[in-house]
Amino acid sequence: MVDAKNTDTVDRLVGLIEEDQTYQVRHQRDKVVAATQGSENGLFDPTLDGLTVTERLYVALFACVLTPAPELTKEYAERLIRLGADTEIIDFVSAGALESIQSPRLHTILKFTHTLITDPVKADRQALLALPQAGLSTPEVVTLAQLIAFVSYQVRLVAGLKAMKALEKSA
Amino acid sequence: MSAPIDIKGFTNDTLGWKAWLDVVSLDTATPEQMAVLEESHPKAKVSDYYLFLVHQPEILKQRSVAFNAIMYAPGGMPRAERELGATVVSRINGCVYCASVHAQRFEQLAKTQDAIIEVFTEPQAAGTTPRERAIVDFSIELTANPGEVNAQSIQKLKDAGLTEPEILDLIHSVAIFAWANRLMLNLGEPIFPSKESS
Repeated sequence: MVDAKNTDTVDRLVGLIEEDQTYQVRHQRDKVVAATQGSENGLFDPTLDGLTVTERLYVALFACVLTPAPELTKEYAERLIRLGADTEIIDFVSAGALESIQSPRLHTILKFTHTLITDPVKADRQALLALPQAGLSTPEVVTLAQLIAFVSYQVRLVAGLKAMKALEKSA
Repeated sequence: MSAPIDIKGFTNDTLGWKAWLDVVSLDTATPEQMAVLEESHPKAKVSDYYLFLVHQPEILKQRSVAFNAIMYAPGGMPRAERELGATVVSRINGCVYCASVHAQRFEQLAKTQDAIIEVFTEPQAAGTTPRERAIVDFSIELTANPGEVNAQSIQKLKDAGLTEPEILDLIHSVAIFAWANRLMLNLGEPIFPSKESS
């Protein structure tokens, strides 16, 4: 199902093609389109130190499961499978079964993700300080926080564009 | 036009913000980090928020480009309405710092603070005109239940007079504050001027 020509994740998941009115409206804000994809590329850049790409994808998957955001859930699960990630962990994350995650580091990371996605006002100083206590460096904490926050943005952008396209198609 | 507001813990006062973990020192920042700070915000070099995020300069750079294009680009939805959307999202997410900044910007651009008082008091019923109410309703829906936004949600905005480019700008404004609020809420805390001296 991956369209090799379409390297823009949001367009691909919403199913936007150039003929669509919604595509044309979106691409009038070309700087936002580019920086949205640029953010995703930066956050999943394999050369970025710290959190592994697999850890980052577990976080993105979990964030989408919790939202819920079906298209993006499928997208991040597929990327994990393509990377050869542990399918048992993918299943645990998909089911929200944090108690089954054995790695204390991944458990702490996903617990933080849960708080930020479901009730961001609850993520206090103590929640943040749990991350360095689990061995994350400050740049890793920044990557993690930006990643969770970015996915919160991405799911809403996809949801909004999907609704615009649905109205366009029903007209 | 900008009388002090203090409602349910939300304010239009000018607040500070401090990070809970170590920020990058300007003395040791790399040339890349300095360049990203300079293009992110005029006050980035004295802001804990930017000095913390610049631990990952490329990610901050992309975020700043997106943020600035969404909130400041000409055309489309009037900037005051983008700020209204941002304030509603911040109120719903409980981000006192973001709400204070964007309430102020709304007041400066719209020359009124009526909508802000309503948003702080009871966001679900806020808005001084049908158009404002439609913007507020959609901002709450996309923030709280993104999975439930549908064609009808967009139709309601059109019925209130929003064009498609304006609707896109509103989606962007709401979405970027899902992002911004989560950074401000979770990486540090606001500093209140009255408490600072005590």
